[in-house]
Amino acid sequence: MTASLGHSAILVALALAVWGIVAPILGARTGRQRYFAGARAAIVGQFFLVTVAALSLIYALVTTDFSIKYVAFNTTRATPVYYRVTGLWGALEGSLLLWEWILIIFSGLVAWIYKDRHRELMPWVLMIFSTVSAFFLAVIGFASNPFESVFPVPLDGRGLNPLLEDANMITHPPLLYTGFVGLTVPYAFAMAALIKGRLDGDWIVTTRRWTITAWFFLTMGNLVGAWWSYHVLGWGGYWAWDPVENAAFMPWLPATAFLHSVQVQERRGMLKVWNLSLIIIAFSLTIFGTFLTRSGIISSIHAFSSGPVGTLFLSFLAFILISSFGLLAYRADKLKGRPELDSMVSRESAFLLNNVVLVSALFTIFLGTIFPLISEAVAGVQVSVGAPYFNSVTVPLFLLLVFLMGVGPMIAWRKASWDNLKRNFLWPAVAALMIALFLFIWWIRDFLPLLGFTLSAFVVFSILFDTALAVRARCRIAGEWIGSALVTLARRNQRRYGGLVVHLGIVLIVLGIAGSMSYSIERQATLNVGETLAVGQYKIRFEGLRGSQQPTHYRVQGAFRVFNNGDESGVFSPTLKFFPNQQSPIGRAVFRSTFTEDLYLILSGFSELQQNRATLKVLVRPLVAWIWLGGLVIALGTLVAIWPFKQSAVSE
Amino acid sequence: MRRSRFIVGGIVILAALSYLIYTGMREAAVYFVTPSELKAQEKPSKDRFLRMGGMVVQGSLQKDLTNLTYRFQITDGKETIPVYFRGVPPDLFSEGKGAVVEGRFGADGVFQATIIMAKHSEEYSPPKEGIHSDLRSFVPDAGEKRP
Repeated sequence: MTASLGHSAILVALALAVWGIVAPILGARTGRQRYFAGARAAIVGQFFLVTVAALSLIYALVTTDFSIKYVAFNTTRATPVYYRVTGLWGALEGSLLLWEWILIIFSGLVAWIYKDRHRELMPWVLMIFSTVSAFFLAVIGFASNPFESVFPVPLDGRGLNPLLEDANMITHPPLLYTGFVGLTVPYAFAMAALIKGRLDGDWIVTTRRWTITAWFFLTMGNLVGAWWSYHVLGWGGYWAWDPVENAAFMPWLPATAFLHSVQVQERRGMLKVWNLSLIIIAFSLTIFGTFLTRSGIISSIHAFSSGPVGTLFLSFLAFILISSFGLLAYRADKLKGRPELDSMVSRESAFLLNNVVLVSALFTIFLGTIFPLISEAVAGVQVSVGAPYFNSVTVPLFLLLVFLMGVGPMIAWRKASWDNLKRNFLWPAVAALMIALFLFIWWIRDFLPLLGFTLSAFVVFSILFDTALAVRARCRIAGEWIGSALVTLARRNQRRYGGLVVHLGIVLIVLGIAGSMSYSIERQATLNVGETLAVGQYKIRFEGLRGSQQPTHYRVQGAFRVFNNGDESGVFSPTLKFFPNQQSPIGRAVFRSTFTEDLYLILSGFSELQQNRATLKVLVRPLVAWIWLGGLVIALGTLVAIWPFKQSAVSE
Repeated sequence: MRRSRFIVGGIVILAALSYLIYTGMREAAVYFVTPSELKAQEKPSKDRFLRMGGMVVQGSLQKDLTNLTYRFQITDGKETIPVYFRGVPPDLFSEGKGAVVEGRFGADGVFQATIIMAKHSEEYSPPKEGIHSDLRSFVPDAGEKRP
């Protein structure tokens, strides 16, 4: 019953989506307005139908309706209600439905917000939404149906992968999908602008907030993924350059490039073709990511089922690339750039270089991810490149990017004068060099981390220095108090100051990555009861093992008393959980996090529960906490940038 | 004049990027081989980083838990290669199961593995009641969850 309701809703929505594609074309042919209204109605209809479908699946999951295969595979009677709901994105079929649901929510929002605006563009914007939606609906309806029934109906379900039973799983996939789907908004406006030949950059101004929002969700999705990997997967790292991680990270790069390069177009009318290409690439990569992870062509530690879905996504990807770039070529005459760069030392060129670096990073990551395919096709041998490749190639690029973060926002447009450079960068550079000297003398002798910390300091100083100058000017002119001057500045120019706060957040992440990449300590040993392992300034004494039967699994817990520089800091209990329907146990690492470093304990094995011998892996990872803190600062900065202040429209 | 400057800039950037990619690949490239392919090589590629897949031969596993060293053999049905590993192998690593080892092939004919990856099975196994309730030992099958 629930299943047929959900499935029919999907099929009717598909019919509406097709109408949503045809209607604007008919409207353009005949000139009748009611066809354009039809494009809108198609979106609204899809919104309600897909919502019905999604709610049906959630209802089936919550009521554990095991006649539906998807429910039987992803819940059990014992699963708590909230994990039943998150079962919606526990596997492929439901994930696609969630994706479609978010997409159609975004489409509905766009249709509603711009009801009376952009009359020329809107029918085409909605057509693009319907096109993407039609693809997903067709996949959900025919190739990967979450409402498929199973017979005989099992007595109990198989349940989620226990690794997914974690609070972060509630947020990670929806955040990431929202980021992916959010990129559809600027893409749809860009395509509509191309179709109508209205390429004055209106679409960029309109989609500004949407793009920032999408970027924010993409950033958070990746960070929460890293957090989950670090805190739950229990291998002591937060990023492994796994193809699945790369697939989620790649769209972030052109999206970030786009956020910067559109400012050049807004300000100077340059880079029109480039901006359109970036958004096409960013959107395509969200589809490519799904293709990559669902087609099984690249082996990944993340186990996913494969099937016809991969091929469908590849076809859709080809369709998007050919039609989008075809349209771009067709409109090439309208996209002639206006002025060229006036000077190599200017904000334009800083942004341009930022774009080149981001796209280079994208290219290298893309190449590394699909390298096994290339080498197989070209040389007949499978050669893969692992984390060392990605690290050695992207670290220099990202360091250059950090440097540009310190320069770009402060340097003058058109042509930076010597005075401008001296005024904005002399003191920050001097301060950063002093920090470098200090670090070199006291702690850090390795080149890359030293460079990373120095550049980070430069960014922080240049942001603080610039803000301080602006605040001082306001205090003098308007006679304001420092705090209120800062608030006025941020409100008057929220995109700039929001962006600067985001940059500070990125710097914190860079610090965390630089520290933990360069100065981690890793030890593993098998200990008898009473034995002590020394790692850095820590001494870890093994005090015994305890096994206990839990409702869903059998648990083995180790007790390790930790001494930090001789001071006791408590007993750590890393755990191994043995689930009856899983072949291998699931480790639960224990860690203590401080701003200087994390201590991370993993129980990797034990022999003879009675004899009490345990194999322990210990990691000391400096500065990791700053990565998560950076995420919070980025969220704050994004809020500053997009918060709908009343006056901001006036001052911009 | 201006155009030529851009071309020069572009070439410099491209060259730098190619250099980065080239060196990165050379250091990080991992070649997939089977035990037969490795045996067939006339001069074993000692300096190459290899990834070898196969089955762990039944009865070949010798482990020393105190020093965390493992010796076993990997076979593809035709040829067998001895492997030495120090560390903690993954959850699913055991005799008779598929495994992938990563490392270098020593001149002594022993594969010096730095990473062991066990093959994950995606097949569904029905729940068994209380399978682990009398669990007495768990020999490190886990640990290195990821390479």
